[in-house]
Amino acid sequence: MSDRKTAWRTWQCMTCGFIYDEAEGLPDEGIEPGTRWEDIPGDWICPLCGTPKGDFEMIEI
Amino acid sequence: MIPQEIAQTIIDPKAYADGARVDDAFARLRKDMPFAQAHPEGFDPFWVVTKHADILAVERQNELFHNGDRATTLTPIEVDRKVREMMGGSPHLVRSLVQMDNPDHFAYRKLTQSWFMPQNLKKLEARIREIAKGFIDRMADMGGNCDFARDVAFLYPLHVIMEVLGVPESDEPRMLKLTQELFGSADPDLNRNRAEIADADAALAQIGATVGEFIEYFNAMTEDRRACPRDDLASVIANGQIGDQPLGHLEAMSYYIIAATAGHDTTSNTTAGGLWALAENPGEFAKLKSDASLIPSYLEESIRWVTPVKHFMRSAAADTEMHGQKIAKGDWMMLSYPSGNRDEDVFEDPFAFRVDRSPNKHVAFGYGAHVCLGQHLGRMEMRILWEELLPRLEALELAGAPKRMEANFVCGPKSVPISYRMH
Repeated sequence: MSDRKTAWRTWQCMTCGFIYDEAEGLPDEGIEPGTRWEDIPGDWICPLCGTPKGDFEMIEI
Repeated sequence: MIPQEIAQTIIDPKAYADGARVDDAFARLRKDMPFAQAHPEGFDPFWVVTKHADILAVERQNELFHNGDRATTLTPIEVDRKVREMMGGSPHLVRSLVQMDNPDHFAYRKLTQSWFMPQNLKKLEARIREIAKGFIDRMADMGGNCDFARDVAFLYPLHVIMEVLGVPESDEPRMLKLTQELFGSADPDLNRNRAEIADADAALAQIGATVGEFIEYFNAMTEDRRACPRDDLASVIANGQIGDQPLGHLEAMSYYIIAATAGHDTTSNTTAGGLWALAENPGEFAKLKSDASLIPSYLEESIRWVTPVKHFMRSAAADTEMHGQKIAKGDWMMLSYPSGNRDEDVFEDPFAFRVDRSPNKHVAFGYGAHVCLGQHLGRMEMRILWEELLPRLEALELAGAPKRMEANFVCGPKSVPISYRMH
């Protein structure tokens, strides 16, 4: 298994800058730590500004 | 329909200066008629959106609730008519991101979006800390008494944004004056003529003259940055392209104006109001002094507490319904951010200032596609100021009655006299 396959990734809302970190999840929103981006429902929206999931981009931190 | 007395209060600049009057009016509306129409004298009727959840719902649906079709701030009928005469039918004197809908909004926002993202702003942190320390040293030299609004809060975010924009320090007093004329146009202490506004002609003449002065200034800056681009925001605007064309002239001027006004005044208001709240709440000050890890939550609470942007207007792009009320295409709506941020259904004990409030999902920056572009810069400036000031601030109290600006759009304290002890 490669590191690339297991490494946690981060995604950023392109409207407000909110960051979703797969390692941390969003427990307040019912998303457990370790939840992969792909496993977040398609109708999920940015908790800070309401931007749809499709308008997030993967970023390096 | 909202009772006339409340309708008049929620547009009255003097009620916002009073604070309690406008808080009481919105508390009554949230309780008895959270989504109803106001018919204040001299204004077209508008729906008043008072609840946190409804503000989010309207802002999220930016294809249904437009910014560009009608005035984006409370504008009397007579002023609206004159603006449209001047602007070839448009209800806007300027055309910034605030007045745009898609596709223009997306294209114009994208131009500077990445610049305002946290990862880019990190490169400014050391310089902003240096600026903050300079203001704090100056405060220490004042001998224990100052007007925190005028001596620190108005000047620090002004200096940061002007440096970022590329405006020389010698022009900062002029930029502050023009900003206060624009946002304080109803305040006789701050407006261009330093007088009560007599009528729509007088109001528009003052605002038009201020906008004209801004445009003259930034026209020269555009020419300069096109000839000699620098590493500043003005160069991004001057040389930016939408598609394969330069920004429109009005749009470019409006970009500068919003950066040079909202880019500091909102942060100044929040900074001044945040310290005012600490001085009024010694228990909260002590709590914050004893635990620096509370700075981020104190910061969010001060933003909620002050909510410097009091409203934006939207208009319906199609017939729709909210709260069982029929909203017709073209209807005007007032999103009241201070009301959303005191919503009893969202905030426990909303009229209490708590440095450790959590959660604190305020709507002071708006929501949706139009959420404040500069929110991360504003937060960073305030975090750095408090990180540097609080460890040195040993005692703090009010040294007189603070005063708020008379305005109903962007406003906050105009004077916060304090006495303090620092090392």
